Amino acid sequence: MFPNKAAIEGIGDAAHLAEVKGRSLWADARTRFFRNKAAVVSLVMLGLIASFALFGQFFAQYDKGFVDFSLIGSNAYKGVPSIETGHYFGTDSNGRDLFARTVQGTGISLMVGIVGALVAVIVGTLYGATAGYYGGRIDGLMMRIVDVLMSIPFMFVLILMLVIFGRSIFMLFLGIGLISWLDMARIARGQTLTIKNKEFVEVAVATGVRPSKIILRHIVPNLLGIVIVYATLLVPSMIIFESFISFLGLGVQEPNTSLGALINEGARTMQFGYYWQIAYPLFFFVITIFAFFFVGDGLRDALDPKDR
Amino acid sequence: MTLKSKLMATGAAFLIATGGMVYADGHATHPETGETLASDQTFTYRDLDESPSIDPGVAEDSAGGDIIRDLFEGLYNQDASGALIPGVALSHEVSEDGLIYTFTLRDNAKWSNGEPVTAADFEFGWKRAASPELASPYSWYIELTTVENAAAVIAGEMDPSELGITAINDTTLEIRLTQPLPYFPDMTTHYTLFPVPEATIAEFGDDWVKPGNMVSNGAYVLTEHVPQERLVRERNEMYWDNENTIIDKTVSLIIPDENVALTRFLAGELNRTDVPAGQFPRLAEQYPDDIMSVPNACSYYYTINLTDTTNPALLDGNVRQALSLAVNRDVIVENVLAGGQWPAYTFTHWATAGFETPETPIAAMDQAERDAKAKELMAEAGYGPDNPLSVNLIFNTSESHRSVAIAISQMWKQTLGVETELANQEWQTFLETRGNQDYEIARAGWCADYNEASTFLDLMDTNSGYNDAQYSNAEVDALLAAAKTSDNPQAAYTQVEQIISQDVPIIPIYHYAAAKMLDDAVEGWPYENFQQKWYSKDLYIVAE
Amino acid sequence: MFSFVVRRLAVAIPTLLVLVIISFILMYSAPGGPFNSERPLPPEVLANIQAKYGLDQPFWRQIVNYVWGVVSSFDFGPSFQYKDRSVNDIIAQGFPVTLTYGFWSFVVAVSVGVSLGVAAAIRQNSWLDYLAVGISVGAQVLPNFVMAPILVLTFTLWLGWLPGGGWNGGQWQNLVMPVIALSTSYMASIARITRSSMLEVLNTNFIRTAKAKGLPMRRVIWRHAMKPTILPVLSYLGPAFVGMITGSVVIDVFFSTGGIGQFFVNSAFNRDYSVIMGITILVGALTILFNLVVDILYAWIDPKIRY
Repeated sequence: MFPNKAAIEGIGDAAHLAEVKGRSLWADARTRFFRNKAAVVSLVMLGLIASFALFGQFFAQYDKGFVDFSLIGSNAYKGVPSIETGHYFGTDSNGRDLFARTVQGTGISLMVGIVGALVAVIVGTLYGATAGYYGGRIDGLMMRIVDVLMSIPFMFVLILMLVIFGRSIFMLFLGIGLISWLDMARIARGQTLTIKNKEFVEVAVATGVRPSKIILRHIVPNLLGIVIVYATLLVPSMIIFESFISFLGLGVQEPNTSLGALINEGARTMQFGYYWQIAYPLFFFVITIFAFFFVGDGLRDALDPKDR
Repeated sequence: MTLKSKLMATGAAFLIATGGMVYADGHATHPETGETLASDQTFTYRDLDESPSIDPGVAEDSAGGDIIRDLFEGLYNQDASGALIPGVALSHEVSEDGLIYTFTLRDNAKWSNGEPVTAADFEFGWKRAASPELASPYSWYIELTTVENAAAVIAGEMDPSELGITAINDTTLEIRLTQPLPYFPDMTTHYTLFPVPEATIAEFGDDWVKPGNMVSNGAYVLTEHVPQERLVRERNEMYWDNENTIIDKTVSLIIPDENVALTRFLAGELNRTDVPAGQFPRLAEQYPDDIMSVPNACSYYYTINLTDTTNPALLDGNVRQALSLAVNRDVIVENVLAGGQWPAYTFTHWATAGFETPETPIAAMDQAERDAKAKELMAEAGYGPDNPLSVNLIFNTSESHRSVAIAISQMWKQTLGVETELANQEWQTFLETRGNQDYEIARAGWCADYNEASTFLDLMDTNSGYNDAQYSNAEVDALLAAAKTSDNPQAAYTQVEQIISQDVPIIPIYHYAAAKMLDDAVEGWPYENFQQKWYSKDLYIVAE
Repeated sequence: MFSFVVRRLAVAIPTLLVLVIISFILMYSAPGGPFNSERPLPPEVLANIQAKYGLDQPFWRQIVNYVWGVVSSFDFGPSFQYKDRSVNDIIAQGFPVTLTYGFWSFVVAVSVGVSLGVAAAIRQNSWLDYLAVGISVGAQVLPNFVMAPILVLTFTLWLGWLPGGGWNGGQWQNLVMPVIALSTSYMASIARITRSSMLEVLNTNFIRTAKAKGLPMRRVIWRHAMKPTILPVLSYLGPAFVGMITGSVVIDVFFSTGGIGQFFVNSAFNRDYSVIMGITILVGALTILFNLVVDILYAWIDPKIRY
């Protein structure tokens, strides 16, 4: 019912052709991606944000942990963003340089967003595609596991990780990874249910292609559109979720920070007139998310097998 | 508001006829002060969280206490200064040995269903609160009164009927103590010792505390209770002093976020709320008539692990002293918190009754001297720029603890070059970590159980269950033991504070204050009451 | 289909049991307990309390007792924290609140989200597309803990139109801000998934054929494109619906709605085991139920799907 080129390729798929085809698929995708202006601009943007996070510290006049005691409590008029004082983004209510903190927080949050999205894409997609492809009892079991994992009080998992393994940045990523793939698995599995009924899959099955290969070569590429869009949607929620993990004590700890923590703090104090405390972190959060969205859209269009 | 607008509408002609001299507000005046009262006598305030219980026997928090004091009345109440005034009891007599208290109750006290409040209701309330069957988390309060057999009853070794409280007749209540306790009458203002209605509890079981079921003897009755949202209590027509009660209705709203609560206060939805940390100066400037700060009987300090699981450097007294000296308390109380807190160089809260804050070397110095001395001590201990000390500091997750920890870690760094690794933990995890001495330096706070210095200093006893530093000094133990039986314990307390200030098992940081927004129109607030026991029946709202 | 539903419902019971056991183990292994506090209770008082709540029993016994209570009399036990209430009371009071604002948020999120997504896809790269993408991205990037205080500041303090919080039995004035704050990010996600899914569908040959046959666009969309478009949206909506009706602690904290999200988070922090379990089971049952509903809808939309 949905004949398309991927299907036709699927029919003709053979091991000795895979190499060549694989390369051309990616090359094609690259060309199409770079034709998409919004995506390219966003990619450049992401690069700029990443270099801000990496090299911004060299422009900061203050250490991210340094407290200027004369500024505590008089933030509203002394902590205003200014080139002269060297506090380009002003100071936070604890008398610390917001520029240095935003630089550091952007770095952490960028990593959190990327790790969360990657784990979701890799684990979630494969898990969901496998469950959907095999169907029946395997599907039932795998999806009930997801149901249980979605419903358990996850906070206790995080607390136990803290108690058993101690606090580290790796544990933060592990915590993020553990939760991020669940919804993705459901979405991937749902799509797989329709895809596996299409002719090209049926033909592949009939010609005796191994299930793992069918999943990787025929199912997953057809899932990528929705998977990538959903992955970009995960980025903001993972960045925010990080601040909850840190609240429990597992993640980022003072004097280190993250965009989530900075925005949280800014939201608390915005009614007191320190607009910069929310404005700068939120700005970096927003442009990061925007960039991810458009890069995601670009990738989706580029990888869409039906477009070719 | 609706009442007001209705009056305005229907009475418009009348108002014009009398030349607009009479407003809807302000028909009544306060009987004593003569102030014009607002027509709507509703007091609305913010609570942070739903109280665990509003059953007097089971309740365990102070916000629940505010509610229970409106709904129920004990033997005595406190007035605006904290002095005792008659509640259900008119007076009492004490036997010569100070062990037997005989209270005379008023005969016009009634439950909200019209039944009289009798001595038997108190007897029932006490025995119920002590019974293992009820398993009240506050049953230890009964033990604290030293009433006969309390410990055995709580431990389940004796039947609750053996508790040393007897209703001689409807208006005479006898209580037998095992130790003379001069402040015993004071303790009767606490909710655990309030009467409860036996018939109602028998009828409804655990559901007796729900609106509609609850029968109470205070100035108010419970009319609405939506957990985590609101609790409403309204005038109890059966209350013996109903005539002199002005507030008709008190509403407590649960608003978890303090900034939203402040917004709602400013929008006129609340008469009272908390001041967010650090916002006191700004709000005091903008709303000078609506803000208050009163001492709050708690001390904030850092405790240092002195067991062998700690950082070995912290076992050196010089290091601990240096860390304490380098904390600039003035910055903490004036800039970081800025809500009327008091810098602490000693453990006991400065406003504790009968306590005089002792002289200590650290309190006598100014900060420059302290910093110099701290550097000197650090150098003596062998730490300096080439060999910086690193310590670990844990605190439970909260904005203000975080701000204090950030400031102090930077003071240590900027003055002494000490590197501090900060770690926040969720509350229960934190309690366990600290209780297991799995820390180096930890945030701690202690609130007075009663208004006397030993409530604080007993923590320094080797055997105290709350001594998280595991500090042990035989001299301190002996002094504390002696203070218990001494007529004038101040001398012992002074010495203990001075020893602590020398040994530094804890670093006192500040003494708490409660900073609140209180609508200017609300009068009768008991500012002078150290425990901040307020009663809606004593408040009134003046017309603006 | 019928036998599939029966099978799934039968599997739901062991699934919930596994959920109960895992959650029990997690809770009990976490540091702290329901009666821990800054000042530990005297041992005899603690012993009384533990005896009252059955916490002095061996671990397996507690699970058995708990499950038996739930199965035999639908009794989820007393709350350890809110001592005047049972878990049944708490859920009976909090869940309708959450259900109400969650349901309206869902309605708003789906209707606005799907319309925006479809509109954007049909007019790809037009101003309508950019507007729709802009709205959805804007709604997505403003976290609800930022939006909530902004809403309260705007509608309560400055404009004075709406009460700053509370539930008040579910008056519409109290519903507006929670629904806005809760629905926006879901709405944005739905719009983006719809748009991308619709674009894929519109690119398929059969739609091109339909268009080529000269069918009116409206009809092509409704008759042919809508069903396949909605499939991935559905997979998202299952968990999203459960997420919305089981509450958001941010909504409860900022708008003091007294919903179940607040109870859940408080009980987790207070180690109020029975409330945690009660709400976990509720969430688990709803998750299983709505994922089943989603699967049924799949089969209805695409009859070729076999489970």
